[in-house]
Amino acid sequence: MMRALRFTIATAFLIAVPWIVAATVPGQQRYVLHVLIFTALYGALALSYDLVVGHVGSLSLAHPAFFGIGAYTAALLATEARWPFAAALPAGIAMAGLVALAVGVPMFRLTEHSFAMGTLGFALVAQIVATNWVDFTRGPLCVTGIPKPQLGSLRIATLPGFYWTGLAAVGLVGLLYHGLTTFRLGRAFHAVRDNETLASAASIDPLKYRMLAFVIGGAVAGGVGTLYVSYVGVLCPGELAVSLSVNLLVMLFLGGVGSLRGVLVGSVAFTALPEILRMAPTWRMVIYGLLLLIIVIRAPDGLEGVIRRRSRA
Amino acid sequence: MALLEVRGLTKRFLGITAVDAVDVSIEAGELVSLIGPNGSGKTTLFNCVTGYMAPDTGRVLFHGRDVTGVAAHRIARLGVGRTFQLVSVFPRLSALENLLTFLQQHQEESVLARLVRAPRVRRYEAAAVERARMLLDSVGLGARADAPAGSLSYGQRKLLAFAAALMPDPGLVLLDEPAAAVNPTMINQMKEQILGLHGQGKTVLLVEHNMDVVMDISERVIVLDHGQKIAEGSPEAVRRDPKVIEAYFGR
Repeated sequence: MMRALRFTIATAFLIAVPWIVAATVPGQQRYVLHVLIFTALYGALALSYDLVVGHVGSLSLAHPAFFGIGAYTAALLATEARWPFAAALPAGIAMAGLVALAVGVPMFRLTEHSFAMGTLGFALVAQIVATNWVDFTRGPLCVTGIPKPQLGSLRIATLPGFYWTGLAAVGLVGLLYHGLTTFRLGRAFHAVRDNETLASAASIDPLKYRMLAFVIGGAVAGGVGTLYVSYVGVLCPGELAVSLSVNLLVMLFLGGVGSLRGVLVGSVAFTALPEILRMAPTWRMVIYGLLLLIIVIRAPDGLEGVIRRRSRA
Repeated sequence: MALLEVRGLTKRFLGITAVDAVDVSIEAGELVSLIGPNGSGKTTLFNCVTGYMAPDTGRVLFHGRDVTGVAAHRIARLGVGRTFQLVSVFPRLSALENLLTFLQQHQEESVLARLVRAPRVRRYEAAAVERARMLLDSVGLGARADAPAGSLSYGQRKLLAFAAALMPDPGLVLLDEPAAAVNPTMINQMKEQILGLHGQGKTVLLVEHNMDVVMDISERVIVLDHGQKIAEGSPEAVRRDPKVIEAYFGR
């Protein structure tokens, strides 16, 4: 009962954020909402990444590629073929999922470091293709003029509109993440992550569950890419940069890998924090770096570990 | 027809023949021990039977069905349970969850039904929890059901791994050194557990170094040395066999 009440209040608060922001920081509301939209999209992306890294324990570096494949699919379909958003979104999700399916089969023949290197190679190739296949992707000229989403008579074009879309996305991805990582599926994922040999003795096919996490994670990343381009309106090959993996890994490991709350806390902290630190431009990166160091040393299990210890004490 | 039949199984590692043309036949309901000095190929034979290694030549038949080279998770699904020499439990899952993990793939495997927690899956889960609690009680771990498996003692983890292997009610149970590095009280407990299993009519193949355990409980003993089967028979006959004495103590 208490939980349901707290959940309702938190949801109501999150939905009311655009009005709260308008009332509290009237001059800055566009900027604040923009940061919050990015936070929501990063949160959904980090959750999809954690399915692979946190729950089946495979250090994939291919995630920016799936994000980019979803983004390019939707951007090109919307601009070149005039597909409506309601068709471009599923197309972006499906394309990223299919590529993950095709890439995952050979990649999972590799283990540990080789798997990380193989997926890194794939991410680099994806970015090189996006940069150099100019006829198709427009390369460094970028895909521009990507239309805002139109769902029937509902047009998502305002900042609050995008904020609610991002909030709905992170909510849905969170539900999916919870469903996949608990109960019987979660147990099978964790068995494969913790001891593959023993998982086989328990009749669990390790490849099947690794592929399941990899393909669903890739498809969700493609969906987030679709939302991202329809918000920003422009898509350049730089969006597929490998550094996206690094940002996501920081969110996962400093937030709390393998935990819904930890990953979300991590995405909020590490999207909002660099922005807050803009107030001290000279020292921004120094303070950011120091904070990361302190967390790694003082809380190796991430912010989630800190929260858990506090709530127990 | 034998429950498990191994015919002319050979496994080589870079020129070393770990298992050399071994034939083993086990009837349903038997309790058989596989013994031999270190490096005689016992665990390699286990791994070939359970799909963890593909033999170079030879056949493995389970219920008369050829399962040579079939993946480990598929052989497990056919009803071959096993434990490992080094204790193997999922340390971050609770004792109860460890057991549930071993049964769920035998009940249903539909991803979608699991994701939406279909009523059918919930019923299976409830049945699995009931069976898991019964098995935990039977190995004396009932009170530790919710403890993370990693927090249990070495001997308790061995008992947990044993109980987990029994979750799907396997037709054949392969135990790799269940009494190794375990204190004497625990050894007796393990012995009773294995005898209890045999009493229920289960077929058990045991790899064990502890001769008291082997001689006490086995109906039949198979001796390997340098990958070859050098003796087979009742515990008393094997104990007196000069080839066995030579393999263990030298000439």
